[in-house]
Amino acid sequence: MSRVAVMVRSSVFWGGFHVWQRNRDAFLRAWKVEVGGVLIEPFVLLVAIGFGLGAYIQDFGETSYAEFLAPGLVASYAMFHATFDSTYGAYLRMESHHIYEAMLFTPIGPADIVVGEVMWSATRAVVSSTAVLTVAAGFGLVDSPLAILAIPCAYLIGAAIAALAMILTSTATTIGAMNNFFTLFILPMFYVSGVFFPLDRLPKGVQILSWALPLTPAASLVRGLVTGDTTWLMFLWALELIAVATVALWLASWFMRRRLIK
Amino acid sequence: MVTPVVVSAENLTKRYADLVAVDGITFAIHAGECFGILGPNGAGKTSTMKMISCVSPVTSGELWVAGMNVDRDWRAIKSQLGVVSQADSLDPGLSVLQNLLAYGRFFGLPAERARERAWAALDLFQLTDKAHQEPDELSGGMRRRLLIGRALLHDPKILVLDEPTTGLDPQTRHLVWDRLITLRQQGITILLTTHYMDEAAYLCDRLVIMDLGRILVEGSPEKLVQEHAGAQVLQIRVDEGERRELVERLRSGGVDVEDTGDGVMLYAEYGRLAHAESVLEGMQVTRRPGNLEDVFLRLTGRGLRDQ
Repeated sequence: MSRVAVMVRSSVFWGGFHVWQRNRDAFLRAWKVEVGGVLIEPFVLLVAIGFGLGAYIQDFGETSYAEFLAPGLVASYAMFHATFDSTYGAYLRMESHHIYEAMLFTPIGPADIVVGEVMWSATRAVVSSTAVLTVAAGFGLVDSPLAILAIPCAYLIGAAIAALAMILTSTATTIGAMNNFFTLFILPMFYVSGVFFPLDRLPKGVQILSWALPLTPAASLVRGLVTGDTTWLMFLWALELIAVATVALWLASWFMRRRLIK
Repeated sequence: MVTPVVVSAENLTKRYADLVAVDGITFAIHAGECFGILGPNGAGKTSTMKMISCVSPVTSGELWVAGMNVDRDWRAIKSQLGVVSQADSLDPGLSVLQNLLAYGRFFGLPAERARERAWAALDLFQLTDKAHQEPDELSGGMRRRLLIGRALLHDPKILVLDEPTTGLDPQTRHLVWDRLITLRQQGITILLTTHYMDEAAYLCDRLVIMDLGRILVEGSPEKLVQEHAGAQVLQIRVDEGERRELVERLRSGGVDVEDTGDGVMLYAEYGRLAHAESVLEGMQVTRRPGNLEDVFLRLTGRGLRDQ
């Protein structure tokens, strides 16, 4: 093998890709169970909140409430499905099914596992976000061809959230800890990240905190692409997500190594 | 001819927070041999296996596998090992065949080759008709066969087996033994831990008996039996009251005797037997050749090792 080939083969992304393939194969055997939820839930939410509640909300200027809400949901569903897979899904694979243990007896290492799980969660995020985007487009809520770029954005959002979730998964001692991640982190973030209403209605302190959470730049980024109302700040938001993903991946890999290699 | 060393441990030590699991052991495994590690629970067998498999860091000492250091070259070492651990780690999300294909990918096998090897492994372990079933539908014996087949997918240089036949029915045990002997004939190096003395005696060219993290003895099964159990073992059942006196009388004649709680065991070289025979006149004596289990129990004692 050439030196480059050796370097590629000993990188975490090479190993991670094989872990990703394992998750893809398992998903393709069971996807029929999940496909209903992926499509129907965003449909119900958009109809109920967007049109039902939105009918009472008038001061959104030129856009309807549903148009405001839809991009936020695209980002939120990327977050939700990435989280499900990298918390409950990953914890079950690790603790109940001993899949990580089996992987460790191959050239796969702890960091490869974390990278592969995050790559897979990001893929799940893309699937869910694309479904929401399609539903939104069906309701005429997509205004710009740039919306297609929301799909790679969903990958980035999924990766950032999943990497954070893997920090928890690699340190959790019970599956109950996953509930805390939802109730203390994911759900509050869902309500204060500019998904349901613009951030300028929040107190200043909460606004600052909100921009430090990954869903805020994620929702703003997707909204810019879906509405076509773009700004240079979008690059900064994308960078924030990349930074979160990188730091969290590194931390989660460190914790996973400590957990598995002892 | 000098056979190359494929695993070499020098003063190898594994310490956990409040426990010394492996306490400075030194051994070498040669290419193409079947090497056994025997020992009661807590002897350090599994810890040693895990260090060799690069899933547990060495606390101190040196450990080389396939000429490489376990701390530095773990990825390259693991690509040459096939490991069957004690945990049943089949992937319930994948079919039997997919379990093998996924494993092949972890070892970097090209898809075509992985498929070829997967079917060969299924054939070797008589699982071909189970290829498209779920692992959960397999019996315990089938699962173990699949686990061993999976570890062989990438043609490993060294096969590491941690209690490979524990809990198996006799038919499966013999199928596994048969396959392991064939593999060894093909030149693979096998490292095995086991609780079964007949298994160790049957499969191992050389073995060590460990206890409390240390190696007590090392050698071929025949040599160990000869040195530590003798050619013949006599078992005498006697009641509590007479036992102590009998033990005294035998020992005074220089015979190697063990009080087993429900009787007396006598390990004898043929020459020493004359004295014993006169003492045992008229008693109920069972005679049999010495075996590895005698060696094991004599060296590690009869007390229970609960963990």
